[in-house]
Amino acid sequence: MARRELTELWRDGRLLLAGGLMLLLLATAFAVGWQQQRAIDGERQAAQALDYDAWIAQDERHPHDAAHQGMHAFKPLPPTAIVDPGITPYVGSTIWLQAHRQSELRFRPAQDATGLQRFGNLSVAWVLQVLGPLLVIVLGFNAFAGEREQGTLRLTSSLGVRPRQLLAGKALALAAALAACLLPALLLAAGALAMQGGWDAVLRLGLLALGYALYLGIAVLGVLAVSALVPSTRLALVVLLALWIGGVTLAPRVASDLAREVHPSPSRQAFNQQMDDELEQAYRRAWRAQLGTDKRWGAELPLNRWGIALKIDDEAGYAVADQHFSRLWDSFARQQRLQEWAGLAVPLLALRGWSMGVAGTDFAAHRHFSVAAEAQRRLMQDLISHDLVEHADPLGDRHFSYQAGKNLWARVPRFHYHPIGAAAALRDNVASLFVLGLALAAAAVLAGWAVGVRKP
Amino acid sequence: MRRTFRNFSRVVAHERRLLWADRSLWAVCGLLALLLGFGLHNGLAEVKAREQVLAAIQASQPQREAALADRLQRVLAGVETPDPFANPADPASVGSGMGARSALLPYEAMAPLALGQSDMQPNYYRVTYRSRASFMDDTELESPWHLLSGPFDPLFVIVYLLPLAVLGFSWNLLSAEREQGTLKLLLSQPLTALTLVAGKAALRAGALLGTTFVVLAGVLLAARPELRSAAGAAALAWALGLVAAYALFWLALAVAVNALGRSSAFNALALLAAWVLLVLVLPVLMNLAVQAASPAPSRIELATRTRLAAVEGLNRYSKLLAADYRYVAQPEVLQPQDGKIEVASRRRAQYLVGRDTDREIEALTERFDTQLAGQQALVARWSWLSPALVASESLTALAGTGSERYLQFRRQVGRFHGEWKAFFEPRLLEGRAINPDDLRAMPRFAWVEPPRAQLRAGLALAALQLLLPVLALAAWAAWRLRRLRVV
Amino acid sequence: MLQTLALSKQFGATRALDAVSLTVEPGEIYCLLGANGAGKTTLVNVFLNFVDPSDGQALVDGLDVTREPLATKQRLAYIPEQVMLYGALSGLENLRYFAALATGRQAARAELLGLLAQAGLDATAADRRVSTYSKGMRQKVGIAIALAKNAKALLLDEPTSGLDPKAAAEFAQLLRDARDRGVAVLTTTHDLFHAKQNGTRIGIMRAGRLVAELRSEELSHADLEALYLEHMK
Repeated sequence: MARRELTELWRDGRLLLAGGLMLLLLATAFAVGWQQQRAIDGERQAAQALDYDAWIAQDERHPHDAAHQGMHAFKPLPPTAIVDPGITPYVGSTIWLQAHRQSELRFRPAQDATGLQRFGNLSVAWVLQVLGPLLVIVLGFNAFAGEREQGTLRLTSSLGVRPRQLLAGKALALAAALAACLLPALLLAAGALAMQGGWDAVLRLGLLALGYALYLGIAVLGVLAVSALVPSTRLALVVLLALWIGGVTLAPRVASDLAREVHPSPSRQAFNQQMDDELEQAYRRAWRAQLGTDKRWGAELPLNRWGIALKIDDEAGYAVADQHFSRLWDSFARQQRLQEWAGLAVPLLALRGWSMGVAGTDFAAHRHFSVAAEAQRRLMQDLISHDLVEHADPLGDRHFSYQAGKNLWARVPRFHYHPIGAAAALRDNVASLFVLGLALAAAAVLAGWAVGVRKP
Repeated sequence: MRRTFRNFSRVVAHERRLLWADRSLWAVCGLLALLLGFGLHNGLAEVKAREQVLAAIQASQPQREAALADRLQRVLAGVETPDPFANPADPASVGSGMGARSALLPYEAMAPLALGQSDMQPNYYRVTYRSRASFMDDTELESPWHLLSGPFDPLFVIVYLLPLAVLGFSWNLLSAEREQGTLKLLLSQPLTALTLVAGKAALRAGALLGTTFVVLAGVLLAARPELRSAAGAAALAWALGLVAAYALFWLALAVAVNALGRSSAFNALALLAAWVLLVLVLPVLMNLAVQAASPAPSRIELATRTRLAAVEGLNRYSKLLAADYRYVAQPEVLQPQDGKIEVASRRRAQYLVGRDTDREIEALTERFDTQLAGQQALVARWSWLSPALVASESLTALAGTGSERYLQFRRQVGRFHGEWKAFFEPRLLEGRAINPDDLRAMPRFAWVEPPRAQLRAGLALAALQLLLPVLALAAWAAWRLRRLRVV
Repeated sequence: MLQTLALSKQFGATRALDAVSLTVEPGEIYCLLGANGAGKTTLVNVFLNFVDPSDGQALVDGLDVTREPLATKQRLAYIPEQVMLYGALSGLENLRYFAALATGRQAARAELLGLLAQAGLDATAADRRVSTYSKGMRQKVGIAIALAKNAKALLLDEPTSGLDPKAAAEFAQLLRDARDRGVAVLTTTHDLFHAKQNGTRIGIMRAGRLVAELRSEELSHADLEALYLEHMK
């Protein structure tokens, strides 16, 4: 039965045309993503190496000035970003690790782009998420309704074929058609990613494939359910298109807005203001406790305590900064989680979370890098303030004449970033997978019920 | 001629009756109104929240300045001993933080229509004499997930959903008549197919545009009093005009497809394919093309060069940096004497490093701005391909949240930064103390709205990019309808 | 009044009309007989400018239908085989619309009801939705539209098919009334009885050609049938 369906699809040209177009888009998206990822990641790795070399090679100077010159950390772009670039255009890529303040990653690609950027980036993920269901609709909207109209449905069921068998056959055919379109692309992608990223990347690709398979499975069963329930092909097409447009264009935006209202984020100004105020208070408290005065750099604080003061500042500040940034990032994470649970109704939301999470281009990955970069900065700061306390403070009034050299610079290690592993990414995002699975089960139940409802 | 017009109005009246009875007029217009209303609600709420932030900054400014002037008086009178790093008489303290002034970009009256770039580009900067990199690379805080999804603002409804409403109404404009069987009877009367189609199209255009205009104009005029002026009304008129042109494009497309004389099913598929192509796929492909044709300069290069410039600066001023703070041993150094004050050499050096860094990378940062302007021009030129893009860009520009206006803002802030530095540099390097006159004379940022002429030219071009295809499609349809297959 | 001059129409390889020349004078009922696919409907479509002739001309009141489509349509009234109307509207509303398009002026309710009565439609049915009408009732609205137009020529496509004998008789009466008013009537039909009974002249078409043309009073019913079958061999 499935084989006959498949032949029909092929014959009437839909599979060739629609599937062909899809494949073309996927190929373009992959090629472009490949080229971009290699260029960007290559540039970042090179810059990171140069940056450290420059740090080591710097002249002798007061360590605090070196801390102001600082180091850079460049966020690497994982190979799976070729498949799903996720939020990459909307988050920064570069962080300047300097003294005194935790900063954020800067230079979002979308800042350097026009409003055209907001329409979206061509990526494999985009094509599959947005156009994938459309392909399924085009191939399957008249699966039941069309046969009913033609009268062949009556014929088939009079041969003793049970509705569930019919459903299974058609679902299999659709799935096979999709596989014919997508499997070659998947294999090619696997090969390419293996070259770029090794087993980790291939494993991630497998997980991605799983997620997309579930998503497209939901689409297949949903399309068949609607085709079975609705009396005419025209109405079936209208209903399916309405669901597709609602699910792919409308729902993500509505969900995003609602999530923001439930878990709002502060404005930049409010965030900075609050953090500044709390830092100020924390510094004062720490100074009062440990230095006996809270007048910053007042006359009571001679230069021979400059290094210690810096150290106390840093330590007091770390806790406050952690608290604020955690709160901010947690609000983002909570917004995302809320939307992923909405994936029960709108599978796209759950899939997006899964896809980005597993590809390593979601906010959790960004946060992980920010935290790692900050750890590096703190390492640098602590080493420097320790050095100052040891060597510069004893100089008293001639504190700033102290100049450190290569010995100190070399003690700051090279920044090695280890991204979240595939296993950890899986663990963190398993909820989305669960939601997708539930949605698939629901779709299967719905389809099973739908085929039995209408008489052929 | 008169007969044609009479026939036309009869068709229009008949269609109205038909669609009214059919409930489809209610359904589609009602749904559209609902979605637009929701979009407006979101847009208004966002803009209101952001304007409150700006207002708060604006309100707190005079307070801070008064407090600073107060402190200066006390220090000059000798009543208060100044803090070495927060000394109101010290140009280094005042210029680098204490006296910092905010540069604000106000939201336009039409801002709730299209949130555009306002969720990422900041509308305010806190300007000090420190290097540009210290304050100008920040962005507004927003969940990246939300940036990726995009806001549900009126622009979204207009660009993505209004075409669907138009198409949903008019996909089977003519093909339904043929499939129903009424076309034969209709065209056996002295009625041209063109008049028939024109009448049907006119009614649909009227209903949809009427709904859209009433909702948009009604809500915006009520919620944004600034629109009630002549300039505001002009902006609103432009917005409604562009929306109308965009809707008319889709109507003209539907009419053209109907004029082919194929079945309703064919029409539906063709129009859906057109929507998917023009609204979803083409802009994404164009994004790719524009990025390829006019790629942004490397931010990594900027970061690296900035740091290198900083290194050079540190090396150049190493002697100054190695000097010690004298306030510890000689606290009287913190008080101004005869209008002079000793500015700590380290602080002078820090300023100079920042200034030199800015100079070094000026050419590079200028390239980013030029590149963005170039991309914008490219987008404007290529928008012929996608009416969705034309509508999106033009309405965003009208709402004052387009990349062009933010670019202008950054340029003006850059100039202000230069003025700020020019004010403080002589004081810093020559050791001139800050006095109350100086506080009053410190540069203040005043946003200068770019000349309207350029905006209007852009909007006119956009209108042309929308209306020319409408005319072409209409002309083609009129020609094709002469040979319409009736049976 | 209605005239074709060597009218031909080619659809690809098939010749739907082959040099057909006929004339329908005012006050005449011309019945066109023929099998399915003989070209009767194509001929009617040519008069209505729904298809362009490949060769020859079709004239209405001396005006060429392809060159003066609006003027000729003003002089023609057409009742299709299946009168399809707007189901969501009532019979009266449908009549008002089509009559307004046909005559160029808006008619009063009383006048429209009069037309419906003339066509034989019950006054109570006039305000009911057309989706509730039977085929016969819809045809009566079609007749009312044609009456409203007061045209000089009347085109009918298989008018009596699917009508019960009473309705067919009422219809025939209407045709005779039109003929008496001086209207040129052209009908296509399968119904030999109706053609002999009501037609002034009869034409037989086969494979696009007009193979026979005669006055109905020249033949009896039986002879007509024999002649028809002869030509259909």
